Amino acid sequence: MALVKDSMGMGERRSTSQSLVSWTRLRPYAMISPAILVFCLFFIYPIGYMVYLSFHDWNFVSPTKEFIGTANFTYLLSNLEFREVIVNSFIYTFFTVFLTIGISLLLALWLNRGGAIYSFLQASIFSPHITSLVSVSMLWMWIMDADYGLLNWALNLIGIESIPWLTSPDYALTSLIMVAVWKGIGFNTLVFIAGLQSIPKDLYEAAELDHTPPWRRFLRITVPMLSPTLFFLTIIGIINSFQVFETINLMTEGGPINSTNTFVYYIYQYGFQFFKIGYASAAGVILLVILSVLTVIYFKVLSKKVHYR
Amino acid sequence: MAEIRLDNISKTFNEDRVVKNISLTIKDGSFTVLVGPSGCGKSTILRMLAGFEKQTEGDIWIDDKLVNDLAPSKRDIAMVFQNYALYPTMTVKGNIEFGLANRKIPKKERRQLVEEIAEIVGLSDHLNKKPDKLSGGQRQRVALARAMVKKPKVFILDEPLSNLDAKLRTQMRTELIQLHKKLGTTFVYVTHDQVEAMSMGDEIIILNKGMVQQKAAPIDVYQNPRNLFAAEFIGQPPMNVFDRTAYEGIVEPVPEGVRYIGFRPEHASVSRTAASIPHTIELESEILTLETLGAETIYKVKNRIGVMNIRSFSAPVAKDGCCFVSIPLEKFYPFGADKIAKPELDLSMKKEAVLNGIG
Amino acid sequence: MKTPLILKVINGLGLVLLFIIFAMPFVWMASTAFKTLGETLTFPPVWIPESLQWANFAQAWNSGPFLKYFFNSVIVTLFILILQFATIIPAAYAFARYQFPLKNFFFALTMICLMIPSQLIFLPVYLNLSSWGLLDSIWGLILPFATSAFGIFLLRQSFMQVPEELLEAARLDDATEWQIIRKIMLPLAKPVLITLALFSFIAHWNDYFWPLVMTTTDNARTLPLGIAMLRQVEGGAAWNTIMAGNLLLVVPILIIFFFAQRHIIRAFVYTGVK
Repeated sequence: MALVKDSMGMGERRSTSQSLVSWTRLRPYAMISPAILVFCLFFIYPIGYMVYLSFHDWNFVSPTKEFIGTANFTYLLSNLEFREVIVNSFIYTFFTVFLTIGISLLLALWLNRGGAIYSFLQASIFSPHITSLVSVSMLWMWIMDADYGLLNWALNLIGIESIPWLTSPDYALTSLIMVAVWKGIGFNTLVFIAGLQSIPKDLYEAAELDHTPPWRRFLRITVPMLSPTLFFLTIIGIINSFQVFETINLMTEGGPINSTNTFVYYIYQYGFQFFKIGYASAAGVILLVILSVLTVIYFKVLSKKVHYR
Repeated sequence: MAEIRLDNISKTFNEDRVVKNISLTIKDGSFTVLVGPSGCGKSTILRMLAGFEKQTEGDIWIDDKLVNDLAPSKRDIAMVFQNYALYPTMTVKGNIEFGLANRKIPKKERRQLVEEIAEIVGLSDHLNKKPDKLSGGQRQRVALARAMVKKPKVFILDEPLSNLDAKLRTQMRTELIQLHKKLGTTFVYVTHDQVEAMSMGDEIIILNKGMVQQKAAPIDVYQNPRNLFAAEFIGQPPMNVFDRTAYEGIVEPVPEGVRYIGFRPEHASVSRTAASIPHTIELESEILTLETLGAETIYKVKNRIGVMNIRSFSAPVAKDGCCFVSIPLEKFYPFGADKIAKPELDLSMKKEAVLNGIG
Repeated sequence: MKTPLILKVINGLGLVLLFIIFAMPFVWMASTAFKTLGETLTFPPVWIPESLQWANFAQAWNSGPFLKYFFNSVIVTLFILILQFATIIPAAYAFARYQFPLKNFFFALTMICLMIPSQLIFLPVYLNLSSWGLLDSIWGLILPFATSAFGIFLLRQSFMQVPEELLEAARLDDATEWQIIRKIMLPLAKPVLITLALFSFIAHWNDYFWPLVMTTTDNARTLPLGIAMLRQVEGGAAWNTIMAGNLLLVVPILIIFFFAQRHIIRAFVYTGVK
């Protein structure tokens, strides 16, 4: 294909006008330039700017940015509040991903059948995924309302006392995890189902001929064949959970007592409420490092082919 | 009217010379077949001819016009691709019409041309179907129609029959030959199948390792292969070729300068009993396998010279055990150490060479 | 082999429970949206309001410039979709079909941007937009999403699957590159284009984070922001009005989902198993 272009380019150079050559040469660049321009302006440059700011002290209004070296980072890492943020982020991420993936896998095995009922249920559990996080957050705020919420009413029905879901530091993070799991299950389940359906049927038929018991079939065929999907969902889940913002902003605002403050919300607070731009940028750089490491791991493993396909 | 001339053409892909200094002329109005094993450079030559690839060195002339720098669409050629390359989202009509529409030919004229061509290739009832609704043979016809409608000077066909089943392939072969007769245009046809090459071409160009091995009419290639490669490539089963040492004590003396001696399977014969014929060597042989194909029988036998294929048109002899293989001396093809044919060193002239092989 | 009745019953009950967990919140949202304020403050809760309070919707709608929000949402989503297609198609074609110096570099750049979430760079982008005077304008909501690395990646995959022969045939047929894209590539990539459109539409119609950060006045606020601000209306939490507002946000998407269910699920799952 390369050579095709090349030959055509050469052809036009000698047989027609000079301007045509340059056009065939420039055409690819012209075609990618709008996209590349957007990437540079809104992704690449901001990353660089953020790294630059992380070494400075700036309050957004002052005309000068003072270079302070790594002071923002040393302060961050020694700051108790930021440690809480890191711990919260890790707890939130771990439990959200673990629960979502675990439940989704079970649901996928259960719901992976034909028939109207099953496809209706698949669609039902998927519907939260396409619902705005604003609505999901507000709906669950209302459901988790300590006094008039549906959840406490249901608990009372089975004899459990009301729980201050969002207003107690003991429960708030758990509540957010519950909402995240509720929203995420549908997508994960359907991806698992797609994974299950891509496993060739003859593998199971061969196993059946060999009198393989069902649980062995699950361990020896389903699990290995599903491992790329499992890996993909885990990494994507971790990356997404580290960026949680909307539910926190709407449901708890990081509280009570910093118990639900996580990375992005912390950056948001320091940037937009306290105007410590350099400091917020430093926190952003740390998040960038974490996400980069995860991404690199993802591609490393991907290129090593955990795939059994 | 178009004669094609390749003048010292070379092509290099990342240091890899796939076409080496080829010069040849494809006669106007001929049905020329480029044949060779995969990787011999035949497709590259075709693609350079079409303008999809640019030769590293040399010139290409079509109809006395230097086309080195012409874009494919400006070379006045049409191509039938191996996988037909039909536009999957367009109907048959859309496929045939696409090139005409791009050339801004008026709609009315276009419709007339399309209908005309569709009539010729027998697609009139399928004009509004999409390619995926057609059979393999019909797709092939659409590809042909799409090429024909442009009334090109040269038709380029890149293994166009390789995706058809055996029966359809034979039928399309005949149709293509008839089509060529009707149009009288230059056809350049690429294939790896020597049977196709022999049966269709009026000129065959055998290629190997980026070089022309032989260029001649089919019967010429068969009777007078220019070298060992051409000899072994044409014919099924291929020519039996042995080193001169294998003939020691059988053909004496082997003339100086002959390194390899071959003979075609169909020139040897098999019989139950020995029958000393003059100017023929006779070898007691063991039958290893035997394929009965109806009109003919293919034997694989082992004797003093080695293991060889024999193609016989008489009724099969016993399934296994011993037999006698006789090969007329005049049917031997001698080759030199450079693998070039040495027809001047005719073995049959040496009377003293006649000997009976004793198994 | 027949499944024992008891297992069938357990399976059925499980399915019902699952349905309740995922559908009941939406039913509850709808139920609340039609209640009087008093009815929301009863415990145990009532499921069916005595009379349908349609006024809740009007109240939600009138609690802010919702027509403006709605209009902004439509404009922003529409422009993002148009610009994305306008930038993705040529870029994907160039990456898939041309060979040019620095191609791998530019593609690597695209892949890096695919990995950068907006949650990571909102602060520097905010500062940039502010210095370019684009803050609190719909352009600040549109331009950062004027292209999509994900879209380029997906469409390039699809373009690469088109056999080279087809393009060569088209070039012999005197087709220009633009005709090749329009007549051959795009029709073949239709499923991917629909996927991208649905994906992008849902993501940006629902988006709350970016408008929250990039707007400060009603000038450029979008529907999700307006809905979120219902919380602050009238001091206390008037859940009936809030839920009525949210219903306005959720129902259109759910209706689209209802009609294009297979397509949407396939679109999202496809992006998950790419």
